[in-house]
Amino acid sequence: MSEQRVGRVLGLEHTTTQEFSVAIDEEAYLQLDDLVVVRSDVPGREELCTYGIVTESRAAYEGASFESDTHRIAEEGTLPGAKVRSATVAVTRVLPEIWVAPDPGGLVLRAAGPERARALYADEMERPLPIGIGRDGLPVHVDLDFFDGRKGGHMSISGVSGVATKTSFALFFLRMLTGRPELVGQGASNLRVLVFNVKGEDLLWLDRKNNHFKDNPQWAADWAALGVEPVPFPQVAFWAPPRPRSGDRLIPNTGSRMEGVHAFCWTLREFIDEGLLRFLFTDASDVRNQLNFIEERVRSQLGRCAVDVAGQPGAVVLRDPPAGGHRPGELVQSRGEELVIHDLGTLLAALELRLDPVEGEPDRKWSGRVQGGTVSAFLRRMQAAVLRLGHLVRAGESRRIDRTRAQVTVVAIQSLHELAQRFVVGALLAETFEAKEISGQRLPLSVIVLDELNKYAPREGQSPLKDMLIDIAQRGRSLGVLLVGAQQTASRVASEVMENASIRVAGRLDAAEAQRAEYGWMLPATRARARLLKPGTMVLSQPSIPVPLVVTFPFPPWATRQEEVLDDRDPFEGL
Amino acid sequence: MDLAQDLTPDSVDTEVETIDWRPLDGRGELPARVAFVDGVRRVDARLTADNPQTGPVPGICGSCAAGSVIWDSAQRCSQIRDADVRRLAILGDGLRVELPAVSGLVYHSESFPSRETPALIQQLQTRMRQIEGELSTALADEGLFVISDGPIQPLAPHAVVGFIKRQLAPYLEAAQAHVMGQLAPGQRTPLFCFGARYPRYSWYLRLARVVGGHSWSGVARCECTATLPLGQARELADVSALLLPRFASAQHIDPRAPQNLVPIGALEKHLRRLLGDAALVYRSLRSAVAGLEM
Repeated sequence: MSEQRVGRVLGLEHTTTQEFSVAIDEEAYLQLDDLVVVRSDVPGREELCTYGIVTESRAAYEGASFESDTHRIAEEGTLPGAKVRSATVAVTRVLPEIWVAPDPGGLVLRAAGPERARALYADEMERPLPIGIGRDGLPVHVDLDFFDGRKGGHMSISGVSGVATKTSFALFFLRMLTGRPELVGQGASNLRVLVFNVKGEDLLWLDRKNNHFKDNPQWAADWAALGVEPVPFPQVAFWAPPRPRSGDRLIPNTGSRMEGVHAFCWTLREFIDEGLLRFLFTDASDVRNQLNFIEERVRSQLGRCAVDVAGQPGAVVLRDPPAGGHRPGELVQSRGEELVIHDLGTLLAALELRLDPVEGEPDRKWSGRVQGGTVSAFLRRMQAAVLRLGHLVRAGESRRIDRTRAQVTVVAIQSLHELAQRFVVGALLAETFEAKEISGQRLPLSVIVLDELNKYAPREGQSPLKDMLIDIAQRGRSLGVLLVGAQQTASRVASEVMENASIRVAGRLDAAEAQRAEYGWMLPATRARARLLKPGTMVLSQPSIPVPLVVTFPFPPWATRQEEVLDDRDPFEGL
Repeated sequence: MDLAQDLTPDSVDTEVETIDWRPLDGRGELPARVAFVDGVRRVDARLTADNPQTGPVPGICGSCAAGSVIWDSAQRCSQIRDADVRRLAILGDGLRVELPAVSGLVYHSESFPSRETPALIQQLQTRMRQIEGELSTALADEGLFVISDGPIQPLAPHAVVGFIKRQLAPYLEAAQAHVMGQLAPGQRTPLFCFGARYPRYSWYLRLARVVGGHSWSGVARCECTATLPLGQARELADVSALLLPRFASAQHIDPRAPQNLVPIGALEKHLRRLLGDAALVYRSLRSAVAGLEM
């Protein structure tokens, strides 16, 4: 089987160490993505094996010199001619490493079994994680060392929305990552995944079975080939922001699913301690308007002056600190004239008193020396933030997202305004990253899945959120913070973020987008194909294999919509 | 034996088939298999053998190839068959010298009495025609309908049709010649007979109408040996008139259209490729004779 002959190396054109063509035998065929091996003699050295992957397949009439000769051959047969098939092969590997082009006329064999593994470098991968299925129905692997930070980190997924199934692939990858702990090794224990649900409510059903999964037995077979049991994610926690104007009761703001979804928000104390004020100014124009000067000043003043109020957990008052500052955890009674800050609205009111008082001069300690117009702009932004995400910050018991509860944490931010989405993403990324910075350890791994990366780290402009994502991209791999970013167009995402992704994946691409330099890792033939990829088919590039591979991934066993949920639980359970 | 001498249009008998000269429709059944036979030749290098007494003796190294295209009328497909290359080193003045071994190529030496290079080239042509003739005979024996490019070979009586593209010699007097202009594609003239040493039957047929051509363009001449019974010659003529128009080449593709038949054009191309790259052959010959005393 491993010695199946398919043809000979085409001698009509030069072979190179990058590419060669195969004249295919009459009774054999080669299709795209097939793997082949050629053995060549190198004088004075041992036999050379050249491995390659088929990138294009061709057929023509040999003997035809003019287009009309086609009729002469095919219809009347007056012109002698014969059909010939050939295929272009991109070299994936040469073994041993002698960079010599394969011999013309050399016998081309289909690479199967151990030869297939060598063609795809699977023999060299210490921790090969299946990441999809090749056209031959066998798993294609990714070298985990290039995802979990040992040699590289992060994954970038591109593709037009709808057919590119970026999120589906990201979740499939997560399932493989969490479903094969023996391959992930040490990083598997306490592996934590943070997933943002930014569109629809597709990700709120990850723990439920999909009732369509049994429709095609091939899907279960595919999962079996990948070595993971086709079941929904076993451990998922769902978090959603509270409904606005819902009073003291916190009800998660989700449409289709309420059960098992926790509402989250931050207290004023958390807001101030973690410096979340900066994530209210994430618009690219804010930096241009110098709002960051006054924001930094106000943030540090809040840190200095805020003290907790006895009897009102999470609320603060602003009081000039004594020499040496407030004691941590100090509780004070609010005085009559003091404004107790228990939400963003009262925070704004307290800041207005200091920055833009009705009578008298602004407090220079708070405003610095910025122009009056800048102060007004700052307060206007604050005002907008109060409207859009005021419900996310409130005094009371801490309701912050607890990522230790489950392996996978889904944060549903699709109902929030864009400003609020950026705030939540920024706050959670900062929390995750800072925790890892303090520990300084790569393990346990923390994986973050973020769609529409172009919104959070756009190529143009600057924002604290973009800076943070760049920081994660650049330093995250050594700290075990791994970003799985998805976007429609890689050309709109900050280049630092894209460049640091070791593993690159693309679904169907827009024709113009596919020609951009961001997709330079694809071969010309792959770029052309990327316009036609079907849902469930992705192009994958990883540092350990020099050519991109086309893989498919199986239908998910978990539901992605409410209608898909298979309700096989006992309705009388608990009675 | 010089064929050209035998082709002079003396004593043409135009009454062998009929005295009523008018266009005749091609007819009959399509043969199951039709063979088109052709050959090519090339002078690979010119040799000079030194003879201190009489002066240098000219010679040539040449290659010739012949083969066939077999058209299967039921399958409607053509295949090249029996293509073969022969290489010759021909030395003039009757000189016999063995050519040293040429790497990868086998040259058979032979001598020829003339000292004129054109005569040596003609000898190469004759050898090529002989191979063609042998091949045609063998294919005819197999039962194929054989169309051989060029005049027929004076071999045994076989049903081989010679196909002559160019009308160099006028065989017909005006009384008959006007029929050539009247031919429609698929029609032929009645048979006529000529040739003192090698008598043959001949006929004209029209392959295609040529836009902007003269009245004889698109007309080719065929012949077969007159040793065949007249009835068989007539059959050959009828079938050829029916058969050949479908093999006519297109004008925009072939400057020798329509007479250069499509299978023959393809065969020539194939045979020329078999002769090998001229520069490579020349280089091999040079390195073989380098340092050789001649």
